[in-house]
Amino acid sequence: MSHADTHDLIVTTGVTKTYQDNGVPVHAVRGIDLTIRCGEFTAIVGPSGSGKTTILNIISGLDTVTSGEVWLAGKQLSAMSGTELSDFRRDRVGFIFQAYNLIPVLTVEENVEYIMLLQGVSKQERHDRVDKILGELGLAGFAHRLPTKLSGGQQQRVAIARAMVSGPAIILADEPTANLDSKTGAELLDMMRTLNENSGITFLFSTHDTQIMERARRLITLRDGVIHSDEVRG
Amino acid sequence: MLTMTIAWRNIFRQKRRTTLTILTLLGGFTLSAISIGWSDGTYNRIIEMFTRNRLGHIQIHAAGYLDRPSLYRNITNGAELGSRIEDIPEVEAWTPRLFSAALASVAEKTSGVQIVGINPEREARATRFDRKIIDGRSLSAEAAHETVIGRGLARTLKAGCGDEIVVVSQGADGSIANDLYTIVGILESGDAIQDQASLYLHLADAQELLVLAGAVHELVVIASSLEDVAQATEAIQSRLNEPNLEVAPWQEFARPFYVAMKADQQGSWIGLFIIVLIVSIGVLNTILMTVLERTREYGVLKAVGTRPGQVFRLVLYEVWIMSIVGVTIGAGISLIINYTLSIHGIVMPQAFTYGGMEFTHYYAEVNARSILIPAVTVILSAVLVSILPALRAARVAPARALRTH
Repeated sequence: MSHADTHDLIVTTGVTKTYQDNGVPVHAVRGIDLTIRCGEFTAIVGPSGSGKTTILNIISGLDTVTSGEVWLAGKQLSAMSGTELSDFRRDRVGFIFQAYNLIPVLTVEENVEYIMLLQGVSKQERHDRVDKILGELGLAGFAHRLPTKLSGGQQQRVAIARAMVSGPAIILADEPTANLDSKTGAELLDMMRTLNENSGITFLFSTHDTQIMERARRLITLRDGVIHSDEVRG
Repeated sequence: MLTMTIAWRNIFRQKRRTTLTILTLLGGFTLSAISIGWSDGTYNRIIEMFTRNRLGHIQIHAAGYLDRPSLYRNITNGAELGSRIEDIPEVEAWTPRLFSAALASVAEKTSGVQIVGINPEREARATRFDRKIIDGRSLSAEAAHETVIGRGLARTLKAGCGDEIVVVSQGADGSIANDLYTIVGILESGDAIQDQASLYLHLADAQELLVLAGAVHELVVIASSLEDVAQATEAIQSRLNEPNLEVAPWQEFARPFYVAMKADQQGSWIGLFIIVLIVSIGVLNTILMTVLERTREYGVLKAVGTRPGQVFRLVLYEVWIMSIVGVTIGAGISLIINYTLSIHGIVMPQAFTYGGMEFTHYYAEVNARSILIPAVTVILSAVLVSILPALRAARVAPARALRTH
């Protein structure tokens, strides 16, 4: 990576994103310079429309920048083709969405092993890794259930399992607790924090949930598309 | 493999819509299969009636006879030629014929006729001559100055079985040929025009009358089936290999009939095209709706690393699976319908006459092409019209798709 040292996982320089909304330009993010280091447990917070989700989408390659550069795990995202971006997300990025976004026709087990299938992981290894992660997340008895037969908290656990099982460099979580009650949300956050501490996987949240803010070791506040504050906690 | 699993399970998600799509595909396939089976059955029956009952599948003449028929353009070794071709596997039967124009009189009634000299036994085997007799009997095996006349001619001459008929013609030696024959049978060939002029004599009697001992104008060959005609023609040409002979399949010696049949069959393709068009629009509508509804899902698949090509294949697999199901069920239904229609047929509201032959029933035919053509057409058109929605799914922008509900 030319812009940072080897511990820097994400580096953005002068990132801007402008949408056209019925012909009116909307500046979602304006000149974001951000560095996320390996193993961080960071939350990006801010009011609705402040650009949290946009910056998460840009970092993951789900959206493109209007100007600026994004480096993730040493790769410049703007230099990648659509297929290269797909492969990059598959191998290096895990996602946890607010609405869980599991594949409704696949069972818990199949949802979790989906990315490994795309990666070409052997059947035995897939099986072992799925068993292990489902056990760790308390989903051992739910392997053959469809997502629609699970509670919201259980579905989000499956989403966490899917995001983690392929061993990504970073997990991006967009409002992961927004659809959960506070108790379930707290349990999941503690679980993610433990996983972060044990496995060293970097977590980057976009949220306005105070529970996440309390647990985050770094808090980046966005306002009107620019970084308002960047606070690192002990 | 998992893409196929997702595709397979997706088709069970919207059961009503899947059922509707499969019914559209099934209906289109079944209509096309019945349409082709019916068209083939009807045309092949007409062709079979023309050829098998009358003209034969293949005819052998002296060179030039078909262009300008003449008493003198004849074959003098008909029996020998027949024996040379009868062991060809595709040849079922052959029979010789001799033709001439003549005048026929019964009492005070006279009419122009066409003498057809035949070998009664061979003609029965080849064109089922004996089954067309509606009154009396067929000609005796040996020449006995007997005649069988067409029903129309019998009416014109007010003649019946047992009457004597005088036939006047011109002999090959230029003499006036005339003789007296006994009517032993009245025949209805199915061709009313032909039956108004046909007068059948034993070949030996005709040869004697026309002073053409041992000569014939035509050898009619019946092939094992319509499909074998081309192969049989080739085999006969190769076996005989004589420049003074012409071996022609029915498509050549009955060219106007063949062209008319072809033109009619071309028309039926328009019907097939319309059916396929309706099926395609139905499938396109369903798949577009499905893709629009699942935009978010495709966004998720792409977000977690599914390549655009894999999303594209996912949509096409769903269509492919539904097409296979529709075509398989449709094949079963159309086979049953075509088989039933091939046995019982459907009575036409009004009988029609074609080339002098009356047709009263529509018949279908069970054949491979009535299944294969609709199967390929329906599956291919369904997959083709799905390319557009599949491309749309493959090109979904994940960030935008994830914002949809």
